[in-house]
Order: sequence, then structure tokens, then C-alpha cells
Amino acid sequence: MYLKVAVHASMSRVIRCVFTGWVLASCSVALVHADTAAVAVQLATPSMLGKAIFFDESLSASGKTSCATCHDPAHAHAHAQSNTLAVQSGGEFHDVPGFRAVPSLRYLNLGIAFHFENDGTPIGGFNRDGRANSLLEQAERPLLAPHEMANGTHADAVARLANASYADDFRRVFGNSVFDDIDRAFFRMQFALEKYEVTDPGFHPFDSKYDYFLAGKVKLSAQELRGFSLFNRPDKGKCLGCHPSTRGSDGSSPVFTDYTYDNLGLPRNTAIAANVDPAYYDLGLCGPFRTDLAEHTDLCGAFKVPTLRNVATRQVFFHNGSFKTLTDAIRFYVRRDTNPEQFYPLDANGIAQKFNDLPAEFHKNVNTSEVPYDRHPGEAPRLSEDEIADLVVFLQTLTDGYDALSNTADPARSLTK
Amino acid sequence: MRAAFSIRPVAMAITLALALGPLPTAYAAGNDEAALRAEVAELRAQLIELKHEVQQMHAAPAAAAAAAATATTASTAPASAATLPANADAASLPGAAPMQSSILNTAASATTLYGYGEMNYTRPTKDKSATQADLARAVFGFIHAFDENTRIVSEFEWEHAVASASDQGEAEVEQLYIEHQLQPNYGLRAGLMLIPLGLLNEHHEPTNYYGVYRNFVETAIIPSTWREGGVSIYGNTEFGLNWSAGVTTGPDLSKWDPTSPEGRESPLGSIHQELQLAKARDPSVFAAANWQGIPGLTVGGGIFTGKIGQGQPGFLANHARLLLGEGHVRWQTGPFDLSALYTRGTISDTENLNLTFIGNPTPAPKAFWGGYVQGAWRAWEHDGAAIAPFVRYEEYNTAASYEAIPLGLGVDPLVTSKLWTAGVNYWLNPNVVFKADYQQFRSESDRNRFDLGIGFQF
Repeated sequence: MYLKVAVHASMSRVIRCVFTGWVLASCSVALVHADTAAVAVQLATPSMLGKAIFFDESLSASGKTSCATCHDPAHAHAHAQSNTLAVQSGGEFHDVPGFRAVPSLRYLNLGIAFHFENDGTPIGGFNRDGRANSLLEQAERPLLAPHEMANGTHADAVARLANASYADDFRRVFGNSVFDDIDRAFFRMQFALEKYEVTDPGFHPFDSKYDYFLAGKVKLSAQELRGFSLFNRPDKGKCLGCHPSTRGSDGSSPVFTDYTYDNLGLPRNTAIAANVDPAYYDLGLCGPFRTDLAEHTDLCGAFKVPTLRNVATRQVFFHNGSFKTLTDAIRFYVRRDTNPEQFYPLDANGIAQKFNDLPAEFHKNVNTSEVPYDRHPGEAPRLSEDEIADLVVFLQTLTDGYDALSNTADPARSLTK
Repeated sequence: MRAAFSIRPVAMAITLALALGPLPTAYAAGNDEAALRAEVAELRAQLIELKHEVQQMHAAPAAAAAAAATATTASTAPASAATLPANADAASLPGAAPMQSSILNTAASATTLYGYGEMNYTRPTKDKSATQADLARAVFGFIHAFDENTRIVSEFEWEHAVASASDQGEAEVEQLYIEHQLQPNYGLRAGLMLIPLGLLNEHHEPTNYYGVYRNFVETAIIPSTWREGGVSIYGNTEFGLNWSAGVTTGPDLSKWDPTSPEGRESPLGSIHQELQLAKARDPSVFAAANWQGIPGLTVGGGIFTGKIGQGQPGFLANHARLLLGEGHVRWQTGPFDLSALYTRGTISDTENLNLTFIGNPTPAPKAFWGGYVQGAWRAWEHDGAAIAPFVRYEEYNTAASYEAIPLGLGVDPLVTSKLWTAGVNYWLNPNVVFKADYQQFRSESDRNRFDLGIGFQF
């Protein structure tokens, strides 16, 4: 009886071994095919395809622009230090100017779809005006837009993809006939990009000095602690009002955005080509790129609150790149209303033209009630210069890729090799 | 009445214990084994007879007997406010069930429905626009007795009239436990039960306290109505000591929100779990006792302690321990009802957690405390109606100290709130009360208010 059972067990094991061997053999056939691809990694999953697409410069009209060109992974997936232009140019000859500063793509995996809360607050969405409801939706515009990768149509983008070195892997994952249907193929391109951004840990490493501090593993310096206090204090920076710094009630790490929108009344940036036309205004939630909320005139001028993680690595700040250093950006928050002449052009009478990047009827939409930009002329700013310096030092602790031994942070360290 | 029923079996039990005591030494001596066996047999027979007697007493249809068997005398408790000296002990029993006005019928399973309601009107004297009227609580509950020893006790509550995702009210289960009387003088409970600390937590019906609102000490420091899930043992002794002890769930410090004012209004109230998907990694224990050996006098106290970090991964205060203690005294003599209470709580090991909260207005406190003295005078009574003016002085501080924070980046401890409350309770009958009071704060005059209230129970 015992022997019979044992024999039976070993027989089923043999069968399992044979089956496993057959599966492995099939896989190795696929692996051999992948080896012939120019890309060294195994391209067996949508996420890996997404990575290939992300770095593939041939997917653009110029043949020299990929997602990574503007969203450099080593630079927190935002623009690298090679230039400090407010907005980048794209198109076939890199001469079509853009409209908004390049945002970081890190930590977007935690984003939520755009919607209105019960009290009417707009929340969520991707892009600076939240017009995409998911990373999948968001991936479409940069591939097609004339000032970006300029593919123009789904057909052109898919045609370039079909010529890519990993096109066979794309077929293997999504079906041999995937390129026969243009829209279907394009959708799967978006899907692969989304999968890459969501699953690759390099997009959301949570390995900044602040993360180690929250885990009790590292101490902040005295200046960092002072800056942290100013960040949180409701009478000083109150930055956490839109950029929460505490763990969620479920223990999740803070993302430093509450996914809402704010209207800061930023100065108009004449470096943006479109701003040469005085009738052109970038109104964020109510247009011009987003058109579904055009009647919500109270939302004109409001842009998405981005994460502050890696903010210290940026070259340009805010949606229109109107400031070049973090210190200047914070000075704007603190002194916008006490010293507007430092930020806005003066009119003929020497009076600062506040909120000059908004039509006059939308000036009332600007947030003038929240700390720290709730000041009136003559009142003291809520932060002194020393305090602004402390705050900047604290914000540097939000940079990914912290190394305790050298006490330095580099977002490039967070990338998976 | 109650004492008469409980003394005899207890006295017999003690006698038996004393009689059986010398047995081991007798066996050790090894003499007269046969005589000893005979003695044991006789004692066994006496014990059986005694048990029989006790069962017969339990089966007696007298209402007071039934109440005594389940150790509540709750049926007389609603009247306790009106007829002070006679049943003064009922109002302060630790572990006593909520009020029930109908009598348990022990012959068969019996279900009793009870409830209470309170509505109030508040007018801050410095800000008339904040005047508010509210249906504070609508409560009902049932007690179902399976037999004379086992019953379920429940209490359900609606607060602020309307509870929904977009309304401010709450619907909750306040109590739901099984109680089993093991002996006439002790029993067990298991389920969601009230923590027997303070004078108010277990006797929180509007007819049972003076003033439109429950006092601040017993809402901000002892977070009435405070309930936890667990098991407890309770009992009483013939010399007037009622005691209980138990193991329960505790608060969850990982819920602490440094950006919100809730933690300053009531530290434990902001982190209690109310058995709602409660994190139960760290159990808490409590022990409380009230002594009512002298008629009219209640002296008691209790402690509650447990680790409250609940072992959450990455949480910086997993070793934080809560220790809350309280002591109280109540003396009802003639027309006077005097009481005093002091309570103090500490939470240890919040230093590292508060370091991550720097700059926020509400770090986790190290110590919080409160105390009050209260005097009421039953000025008039007639046929169940009564009028009692009262006065109460309270002091409390929900954040008396914090663990040290470097560089002066911490917040200052709160200033102790001090207030007088003076008012009057008018009982239409022992179960219906109309109240009015005025509350004046010593140094927070924007909190001064005039209140009116209606309360009833059945």
C-alpha cells in the first residue's frame, strides 16, 4: 500500500517535471529572441516594455526626443541641469516652445482621478491642470503634442513603435496582430508606460533623509529641525496645509501633496513664447488646454499642488517657471503681498502689477487668505530671511537617494540598475 | 433588603471555608481517618443543602430578590437622585448595568427595553452667533436575561439627531456584552463594556448628573462614555466593597493627529478605538473599586493602563504606555449631595514621535489631569419631583506637560482650564429632568455659556 502511494507520488512528480521543463523550454525560446533585441533587458512584461518606450528617442518626430529627455530619471524624472529654461522646446527641430515647466514624474503612482469633493473642492488628476484621470491617459499628450514628441497622430506614433527594436517583444506581450489596429496599439503603449511608472521603484523610492527621519533611523540637524518646524507651524510657513508632512493614519509615508489646486497669482513669465500675446493667459483648471471646466470661473488660475519631494533638485519652479531658485520661490510665498514690487513689473505710476498673469476679473481668485501669503502691505512677512534659509535646508531633506555616510542625497541613487 | 439576602450564603460559605481549612493538617497528622471522612461527608451534605437554599432564594418572585441576584439594584437607581440616602450605593457601583426601570422576571428569559435622551441649548455669552440647540443623544438598549445568571446588556446611541456620510451625527454601539453571575458575589463580563472609572462613565444618563453637560473632567480626561472590548470580573463583598478588573482593548496612539485640535480637547477621546476594527496588539488592564460601607458615602477609584502604540510597523512610539488613575468621593447626606474627583493620566515615550510633529499645534502630551468638587442641595421635593441647585468647580489640563523637544521647538504646555458651573436640576419625576446652568471660565471668557437641557430615561 505504501509502495503504491509512493510510486504514484513519484509518477505525478515526473509528470510535473516534464511539464515544467516544457514551459521552461518555451520561455527560453522567448528569452533567446529577446537577446537579439538591442535592449539588454528581458522585455517580457508590459512594465519592461514601458521602460523601453520611455527611453526610446526614435518615438518622436525629431528622432531625438524620448520621455526621458525631459523627465531625466537621474534628475528626479524632471528636467536636468543642462538648461534653466522655464519651459522646454520640442517638435521635429526642437524649435516649438512649450507652455508649462516640466514636472517631476516621481510619486505619481499615488495620484487619484480628478473629481470634485462634496464641498466643491477640485481634487486629483494628472498634468498641471488635472485633465488626465490616470497615468495611462496622461501618456497620450506628450507623444503627440507639436511642442513635445510631435508624433501628431496615433498612426505616426504606432508606425515608429512598429519599427522599434523591441517591436517583437511588444507583439509577444500584446498579441501578434497588435499593430494592425492603430488605436489598440497606441492604447497598449500608454498602458505599458503607466505600468512602468507605477511598478518601477525608481519612481517612488521613499529613500530621502526625511523618510529615514520618520522611521527613527536618522536625526535631522538643528537647521533642518528649525526648517521643519517652520514648515509645519500654522503661524509661520503652514506649508503642510497643502503639502502634508505627516504619515497617513494607515502609516503610509507622506507624499507632500493633498492633490488639491491653488491659485498663487504668480508673475507672468515673459520667457514663455505664448505670453508674448497679451491676450493669452494660462488659466490652469479653466483652460486653455483643459476645456471642460471653462464655466467654473472661480477656478481660473488654479494649478495642481505638486509633491515637494525632490523640489530642491529643480531648476525652475511653478507651472510657468517664473522662479529659478527654491529660495526665490519661497520668498515669493512670503513677500508676495508685503513687497509685490520685488516680483511684478511696475506700471507707469510705479505700482506693482500684481497677479499680472491673470485677467483682471480673475484677480479675486488668487489665494490671499492662507498662511503665509495672507499678508497686507506694511505687515511683516511671516518668515525672515534666516527662516527662509532654514526652510530651504529642510526641503533639501526631501531629496531621494539619501546616503547617511556622506549626508548627501542624489535622486540618481534611487534608480534600479 | 439586598444585604439580608446576600449575607447568609456568604456567611455560610465563609463558615465552610473555615471548617474545611484544618483538613489538610488533619490528613497530614494521619490520625482518625475514618472520622475525618465522616466529617467531609457531612460537610458535603450541608453544602448541597446550602446550594439548594440559595437556588430557592433566587427563584423567589420578589422584585428585590431578582435585582439582588444580578447584583444591580438598577431598578432603584433612577430614583437614587431623588431619594438620596436610601440607595446611594446603586449610583456608584462599578460594573453596574445601565438603568432599567422594569423588573426582571426570572421565571423565564426576559427582555427589558430601556433608554434615555437628552437635548440641550447653549448660548455662549460672548458670541451669540454660536448659539446652538442639539439633540445630543437618543439612546436605547435592551437587556436580555437567558436565565437568572446570564444576560446580555446593550446600548445603542444616535448623537446629534442625523447620522450619515454628509451629516455630523454619529450612530454607535456603546455597550454590548454578556454578563454571567458565577456566584452571588461575583461574575464575569465579556464584550464591549464601560470602563468603571469616575462617577459619570457608568452612570451617564442625564437624570444622573448635575448640569446640562457632563462635566469637563469626565469628558476631556476620562473620555466618557468610555468603552472598550474585553473580559472582566466583577464582584462585591458583604462589607460594601464593589470591585471589578479586566483585560480590554486600549487606545491607538498611531491615530494621533498633530494638526488637529481634537487631541487638545480630549487626548484619550481622540485616540480611542471604540472596538471599531480596533488594533489589539497591546491589551490594557483596568481595576476599580468603590466602597459603600457607610450609607450615603462612596469612596472609590481605579486605574487603567496599557501600551498604546499597538505595535504598528515603523511607528515611533510602540513602547508608549498609558496610565490613567482616578479617585473619587461622594457623600449624600440629608438634602446634600457632595462629590469630588481627581484623575491624572500619563503617556510615556512620546519623544521620538513628537520630534516628527515639530511645528504642529498638537503634539502628544506626557501628562493630563483634572479634578472637581461639586455640591448640590435638594431644596424641595414632593412626590418624586425635586429641585436641586448645584455648584461645581473644575480644573483640567489636557496637556500639562510634554516630553522635551530640542532647540525650543516644542509647544508650551497648555494653561489649565478653570471653571465654575452653577445651575439647577428640576426633576418632574425621578426619570425626567429639566436643567439650566451657567458656566464661567476663569481665563477663557469666550467659552462662557448659558445652557438649558432636557433629559429623561426609562
